[in-house]
Amino acid sequence: MLENLLEFLVKALVDEPDQVNITEVQQDQATTYEVRVAPNDLGKVIGKQGRIANALRTVTKAAAMKHKRKVYVEIIA
Amino acid sequence: MSELQEDTEAAHSSENAVALSEAELAALKLVEEMCSRSGQAMEANVVSAQGEYLTIALVGEDVPATWGRSGQALDALQMLLNAILHRHNPSEVRIMLDADNYRQRRRELLQNYALQIADEVKQRNEECELEPLPAHERRIIHTALADDPAISTYSEGNEPARRVVIAPRQ
Repeated sequence: MLENLLEFLVKALVDEPDQVNITEVQQDQATTYEVRVAPNDLGKVIGKQGRIANALRTVTKAAAMKHKRKVYVEIIA
Repeated sequence: MSELQEDTEAAHSSENAVALSEAELAALKLVEEMCSRSGQAMEANVVSAQGEYLTIALVGEDVPATWGRSGQALDALQMLLNAILHRHNPSEVRIMLDADNYRQRRRELLQNYALQIADEVKQRNEECELEPLPAHERRIIHTALADDPAISTYSEGNEPARRVVIAPRQ
């Protein structure tokens, strides 16, 4: 559910949306979203001083609030 | 349906029919797409188009609890949408997102806060630096105090830590 918003935003930010891959890793208390993008797109999802990556985390956390789950977003090259 | 209701509805639809430029329509389309793909019960409503700002309210069942509670999540989503919008074309349009009337509540809060701090600055005859605020919120502070002959305001520092200073006018 949450992944959809994250996926939409990440795909819209990059040059190669086909290479975006998001996997959901469930732990006891938390869910981690592992975001993989093309190497050339890494800067676009991290942003200056990590501002884009932080905004993605904030948005994903807010969207997860109604499920009362802790979420993490990890960006992997 | 009463006449009054009909009138209000007519007024609403004519408001929504505000003629949007092509760039503004592109921005609206982006927010609408985000809503429909978000997996949440939400829709995009145009509130106003003033200058470069296109204000769009998110409405729907999931909106108040998710986006209306704190400005942080709303500002983050807004920042991402603007980054996406400006990626290919240097559009002049800036998306301003609202949810559950957060912007209006925040505006009133900031205006009151500005007046309160300005009073203190006058009493102490000493300038006061506020906490970092985003550009559109700094503007609310500047505007709120623009007509006060005893006060001047300016901003200091670099984004995202740029802050307003309220000072006695020399």
